Amino acid sequence: MAGCQPPAEAGRGRSDLKVYRHSLDQGPTTLDPVQGANVYANFVIVNAYDTLYSYKYLARPYELKPNLAAGFPEISPDGLVYRFRLKPGVRFVDDPCFPGGRGREVVAEDLIYSIKRHFDPRNQPQGAWLWQGRIAGLEEWKAAGSDYDQPVSGLEALDDHTLEVRLLQPYPQLVATFAQGFSALVPREAVEKYGKGLGVRPVGSGPFRLISYDTARVVMERNPHYRQEPVDLAAEGYDPATQAFSGVEAIQGRSPPFVDRLEFNFINEPSASWSSFTKGDEIQLTVLPVEQVDRVLASKHPVTLRPEYASKYHLYAGLEAGFIFTAFNMDFPEFGYNEDPERERRNKALRCAIIKGYDWQGRNDSWYNGLGEIFPGIIVPASPEFDPTLSRASITRDVAGARRLLAENGWTAENLPELVYGTTTGTTERLFFEQFRAWMHAIGYPREKVVQKTYATFGDISRAWKRNQLPLVAKGWGLDYPDAENTLQLFYGPNGSPGSNDANWENAEFDRLYREAAVMLPSEERTRLYREMNRLVVDDCVAITGLSRTRIYLWHKDVIAIPDREILGGFWLKYVDLVPDAAAPAPATGT
Amino acid sequence: MELLQYSLRKLLGGIPLVIGVTLVSFALMVYFGPDQTYLLLGKNPTPEQILEVRQQLGYDQPFITRYLGFLREIVTLDFGAASTGEPVMDLLAKTMPVSLILILPGFILGHVVGLMMALAAAYWRGRWLDKLIMAIAVVGMSISFLIVIIGFQILLSSSDGLDLFPVRGWNASTFADYLTYVTVPTLATMFVAVGYETRFYRSILVEEMSRDHVRTARAFGLPESRIFVRNILKNCLIPIITRIMFSIPQVAIGGALLIESYFGIPGVGKATYEAIVTGDQPVLKAVVSLTAILFVLVVILTDILYRAVDPRVTLK
Amino acid sequence: MSAGSLWGKAARKFARDRLGMLALAVVAGYFLVAVGVWFGWWASGWPDLTGSKWEPVSASHWFGTNVIGQDIFDRAIYSTATAFEVGLVVALAATALGAVLGAFAGFFAGSWIDDLIVWVMGVLDAIPFYLFVAAVAFALAGNDWSMHAAMIATFWVGTGRLIRGEVIKLRGMEYVEAAHSIGVPETTIIFRHILPNTSHILLVQASVMFVGAIKAEVILSFLGLGIKDGMSWGLMIDESTKEVLAGFYNNFLAASVLMFGLVMAFNAVADALQDALDPRKVS
Repeated sequence: MAGCQPPAEAGRGRSDLKVYRHSLDQGPTTLDPVQGANVYANFVIVNAYDTLYSYKYLARPYELKPNLAAGFPEISPDGLVYRFRLKPGVRFVDDPCFPGGRGREVVAEDLIYSIKRHFDPRNQPQGAWLWQGRIAGLEEWKAAGSDYDQPVSGLEALDDHTLEVRLLQPYPQLVATFAQGFSALVPREAVEKYGKGLGVRPVGSGPFRLISYDTARVVMERNPHYRQEPVDLAAEGYDPATQAFSGVEAIQGRSPPFVDRLEFNFINEPSASWSSFTKGDEIQLTVLPVEQVDRVLASKHPVTLRPEYASKYHLYAGLEAGFIFTAFNMDFPEFGYNEDPERERRNKALRCAIIKGYDWQGRNDSWYNGLGEIFPGIIVPASPEFDPTLSRASITRDVAGARRLLAENGWTAENLPELVYGTTTGTTERLFFEQFRAWMHAIGYPREKVVQKTYATFGDISRAWKRNQLPLVAKGWGLDYPDAENTLQLFYGPNGSPGSNDANWENAEFDRLYREAAVMLPSEERTRLYREMNRLVVDDCVAITGLSRTRIYLWHKDVIAIPDREILGGFWLKYVDLVPDAAAPAPATGT
Repeated sequence: MELLQYSLRKLLGGIPLVIGVTLVSFALMVYFGPDQTYLLLGKNPTPEQILEVRQQLGYDQPFITRYLGFLREIVTLDFGAASTGEPVMDLLAKTMPVSLILILPGFILGHVVGLMMALAAAYWRGRWLDKLIMAIAVVGMSISFLIVIIGFQILLSSSDGLDLFPVRGWNASTFADYLTYVTVPTLATMFVAVGYETRFYRSILVEEMSRDHVRTARAFGLPESRIFVRNILKNCLIPIITRIMFSIPQVAIGGALLIESYFGIPGVGKATYEAIVTGDQPVLKAVVSLTAILFVLVVILTDILYRAVDPRVTLK
Repeated sequence: MSAGSLWGKAARKFARDRLGMLALAVVAGYFLVAVGVWFGWWASGWPDLTGSKWEPVSASHWFGTNVIGQDIFDRAIYSTATAFEVGLVVALAATALGAVLGAFAGFFAGSWIDDLIVWVMGVLDAIPFYLFVAAVAFALAGNDWSMHAAMIATFWVGTGRLIRGEVIKLRGMEYVEAAHSIGVPETTIIFRHILPNTSHILLVQASVMFVGAIKAEVILSFLGLGIKDGMSWGLMIDESTKEVLAGFYNNFLAASVLMFGLVMAFNAVADALQDALDPRKVS
């Protein structure tokens, strides 16, 4: 096997296997791609299964690249027909669900089957929103009873390695949806044999196969039949100036995966994760806990380690491809839409005053060590369409201005409406609230009019959002694909509750621009429309927004990697390698 | 024969208890518990999709239908699959042994050390050693379990402390691994238990020691060791059996929830707690019914043990 | 032996117990602190952002500040009142519930009332404590009193069993039978003649539950099931779990030392009470 050198001697470990121990702050709830909604599940799913597309290992901002697909699709001139080609000769892992126990070839029909599963209510699917109303015939197929033997008019396998997708309207994000874990290719044999059991027993064609899964750990081993595809670092977006420190040059020209065993350790408590990391022989990567930042970092801008840590660990500061924000629910007449136009005008002033009173810098300093990036609007800095020219007034705290605005519009301590701040239970959430209450107190809000409503679980608070029961919706959003459309849809009128527009904001101009941009391929014109929409959101004071968190990854120097967790999760783990003998002096790759 | 008859009668008598436990727990955890619908929805759901998920989860059915379905599952011991897709019985078979071997050392040591301290205290009753031991017991009882866990972790596992044991996790594939992972949880469990156990054992020992027949035996000059075994320990057995037996369901099912979640150990306590938090009905149903059944078995077994140690006790 | 002489002797005995008196003084000190919080004499500024993140101990912030710049001393002091609230509410309600249900079960031992109450106690005993509490807290989702309700619902059982046993003994006493024979209503007998004679058990049980509630609050706060409004030691300790390994111990120390002091003193008071009220020791 080209380029896979077993270590010369057995290391400190208990065998001569190359083991990489990753850590995540939470575990997945299921490994079935049909419910692979969160980043934790995706970390495992994209390593156990294949997707047609993936993201370049090292390119930032993120760029798509073919994975199981043989290239980018041929698109018809009207943008309605996509033709995808799959690489031939790719096999599923060996599993008793296949005749003779030997994994069969992955074919175009597998993707059709896997998409169909999202339109079968029995699966409690989570990915349907990516394709419903876009790919022809899916709704009809579902209405007719989700019978897998029936065809879907918009999905056709022309042969084993060619898939034709027919759309109802142009959908430029289609290719990106085929990079998501939801679109992972699942063999029908496995679903029929294991049923719900697929959630704990993935059968895919990805770089790794599952050995064990429990609430604390997932262990995978290399898939011995994984296709041979030597790494071309230049094509992966390698930037020697910023990435050479990691030693990734060592994987040039070799075929992944490089480690024999991949472990995910799920550690909820940051302190436990940190201790485990610093012990040396446990987890090899951690996100730097906020509490440790002052102890570990020598400087924050740029982010550098103190010498005692720099000698042991590598560091990478990655900006989240997502953001946190708080939206006003416009369906609440006390500060949203109101039958009385005068009140509606005053409501807007109230919202703008609250936005002025919000202390983003304070939030950043307390919770993100001042490392987060505060930006106006809802196009996040990690989006290619980010607008650096937008006015920063909406994210600059102005207590006097807020008080003035309230006074000018007739708001007094007596007539201000109650602000109900919904959170899940938890100390951090409680402190978020106490901070918010103190800021509102500063602009003249009586303390007893800012109240916390707690929900026992995330499911319960989601229900309150979806049922339109909470006036303030404080949440985070992670990008599903690097395209600002993914955050702009959060404020698109027709997506109102229970859809993703929790603000229930309806702006005719925004909605018109959204529809216009939705069918456009990336272009300067589309970026201009996106930015125009972004300004509309800011101008109407409909959300307190926003902040992208910076995650600081630290990893042991015997690990060769540039880690990340955005967009997809663990798509880069197949490129992780270990320095051949950890006990020997590190090669020149370390700094 | 008498024993068998008795056990059967007790088992039948246990049915109301099983029904009670399952009814209360079902109402609390499953019926009024968290609604999984909104955890299972995609990012931009439509009202139809919400209805579909609710139907799939059976939330649209009336209470009585769902409860009867649950009873049927108990009788057949088939609870279906957890929300991860894993069959619930597999999940329990995987997690319960972990909890058992995690807690047993601390549980046993807590009792043994508690008994020793209590013996010393009771023997020198009223003297300075007794007072010292009881003071230690009160201190031990007054420190919160959480504080003890955090303290031991800093002291023994962190790189700021002695750094002797893993901070978290679980691996029992070899005995050496098991020892490294179980030590800190055991010490914490023991530390918290000793105070209570010492007081418990001391109080029953003192009570037995001050009985007339013990005083008489002493007056006759019988050796202390013999008095202790014959007259004291034997009479203490009933409260001891009661205490130990009734801890079994807590140990086997409740696990050491706190230990498991703090140290990230995949035991049944953590699995159950997560099921409560996420509203994972099949897991909850299985745990609840197992708890009830185990409790009934413990009650029966305790009665039988009473008889074994003291033939005067009748099985009625 | 009448109830009056028992209490008189017990009070004298308690007064001679120096450790018990010292502990009582400590508890009284804590209680004064709590009273001050209730009347707004001090610690009313606990929610204010008066400093920056994690300030060390100083003259203006005696225990430093927390992650969002609130004064840890104020928060710890305010939490004393919360501890008394939780402890008193749970102890009183659970004692009352245990007394009444236990007395009814004992008085009507052998009847269906007894069977029903014993059945309920069995059911509650059979469900592991933290799972039950978690379930109650989630079922009452978001209710301010869900934690209290969960504790009361489980804590009363122990008291109930003790009282039931005691009442079975008492109901055979002459004075009860005499009351019965002259037609005193049964509820009057229970509340007037029987329950007062169990008050020594109830007092000890209440003190034990008071401590139990304060300790349980810490664990429940860690599990995210703690109090909804205000501040408590449990919440501070939960806050500190993320901080201690970073070397920031102020939250942890402030809350755990204050809590330890109160729990320890209360345990000692409970012990002294038990000694003083134990009829075998009195006689």
